[in-house]
Amino acid sequence: MTTTLTHAPVEAPSTAWRGSGFGTQVLVLTQRSLRAVVSDPRMVVFSVLQPLIMLTLFSQIFSSIANTPGFPQGVAYIDFLMPAILVNTAMQSALQAGVGLVTDMKNGVLARFRSLPIRLSSVLIARSLSDLVRTAFQLLVMITFAVLIFGFSPAGGFFGVAAALALALVVGWGLGWVFLAIAAWLRNAELMQTVGFLAIFPLMFASSAYVPITGLPGWLQAIANVNPLTHAVDAARGLALAQPVTGAVAAIATSLVIAAVGGAFAVKGFRKPL
Amino acid sequence: MIEAHDVGKAFGDVKALDGVSVAVPKGTVLGLLGHNGAGKTTLVNVLTTLLPHDSGRASVAGFDVATHGHEVRSRIGLTGQFAAVDEQLSGTDNLVLIARLLGATPREARARAAELMELFDLADAAKRPSRTYSGGMRRRLDLAAGLVGRPDVIFLDEPTTGLDPSSRLSMWEIVEKLVSDGTTVLLTTQYLDEADRLADSITVLSAGRVVASGTSSELKAQVGQRSVTVTLATAADVPTAMRSLEQAGLQPVLDAEHNTLTAPVTASRELAVVVRALDEVGVEASELALGEPTLDDVYLTLAAHQAA
Repeated sequence: MTTTLTHAPVEAPSTAWRGSGFGTQVLVLTQRSLRAVVSDPRMVVFSVLQPLIMLTLFSQIFSSIANTPGFPQGVAYIDFLMPAILVNTAMQSALQAGVGLVTDMKNGVLARFRSLPIRLSSVLIARSLSDLVRTAFQLLVMITFAVLIFGFSPAGGFFGVAAALALALVVGWGLGWVFLAIAAWLRNAELMQTVGFLAIFPLMFASSAYVPITGLPGWLQAIANVNPLTHAVDAARGLALAQPVTGAVAAIATSLVIAAVGGAFAVKGFRKPL
Repeated sequence: MIEAHDVGKAFGDVKALDGVSVAVPKGTVLGLLGHNGAGKTTLVNVLTTLLPHDSGRASVAGFDVATHGHEVRSRIGLTGQFAAVDEQLSGTDNLVLIARLLGATPREARARAAELMELFDLADAAKRPSRTYSGGMRRRLDLAAGLVGRPDVIFLDEPTTGLDPSSRLSMWEIVEKLVSDGTTVLLTTQYLDEADRLADSITVLSAGRVVASGTSSELKAQVGQRSVTVTLATAADVPTAMRSLEQAGLQPVLDAEHNTLTAPVTASRELAVVVRALDEVGVEASELALGEPTLDDVYLTLAAHQAA
């Protein structure tokens, strides 16, 4: 140690760095989060594995639903199911954004960021963007599997699926801000997981995701009709199946509003001292 | 470079800082001494803009911490008790990240990172994820991360807590090097030898208040009397020696295990009092020593005053 010190180069008093621009902050921090994902591919594998298992189970168990009255005529169950799985997976990813933020807070690296001359909102935006990239990758893997193994080929074709994918991403991204806000205030990963599970799980089933709404019991139909997820799933499904889509614009607009409100709360909560 | 005037901070009913004032001139080291909960970390958090204070004024590098947080943060480096590094990233990538956030170009950032990794003896581990680093290596990386922007002022919050002796020593050498380069340092510690070795002046905090401040020797003079230690040849002499010293007006304390009596004295001529007292009762001292007070004595005395 001592020898290293005596031979160390003298620090040149160069011009001081006084903080980077907001764009650079977001870019550098997004790269950082993504690099963490790449350096630990197990997380990516497992995050894809769970929806793949769901896809496999549901497509097999519920396939006979396609023969029941009320199911859209001439539509294969996998084509019906897949858009819902995309939206569901995007929502699960949104939860992971919150969990990731809590992990960062515990990790101590956020304490370092707080002592730097940067805007804290850039940390949140970077988190959100990197999760968007991760989710996009996950969804692409799932679509590939669905096409190759389960014969997913909806009437909307490539552009229909691309539009459904984009919609799922927007919905997941918007919801991600809600979980970032919850994470910024709760600051507890276990609690996050529980809250997220309690919120997402019933919402998924009390919706049009797995069976047509008309196939649900009356009381559940009432819930499903007001469930925002139903609208998101219907919109994604409409796009993939090339059916008249009424809800897509509303779903995107709602997601943007949720993102704005969630974002405001997230930044406010995040500013509180650790 | 660092000035705090009557700074107060409460968490609910607990006054973490109760009117604390410190001043650290440029290029000097202030040692902030105190046990857990004394308010050291709270003061560091206030001065580094991580925590807003309730009352008083504080400025770092000429900028008010409450109103000019960005300017303060662009001139300071912070190393905490817990290494604040990204465990997923390699040591080099951690430093590059900080440099980029501070406004360096990618090329400058890589150059600065390589320079620091070399300086902190981490070059061999540069590409490994930092989660594989030992405690000492992490702490060095954390300190390096705090120095990326060549800060004017560095805050070291218990930089050697939990480190093994050799890591501690190398940390001290690094700090001494920084100070010789003109950096201003505020160091918090629970270790008296650390403050004694590194700090130009010392402030002792207890329960959110400054209970003493000054240079190491001023502090010793302020509280610490010197003491005379008498080591007796046989245990049989102990009661006699004890009585004679008491009669001479001293307050000896017995260490039965080593047959030593220690008595605080105010002036060195009281050494003669001790010698005469022992001579009168015919007790032979195998060793007689006049001891300077240590920082431990200062700390214990102050803590005792505070508790009383």
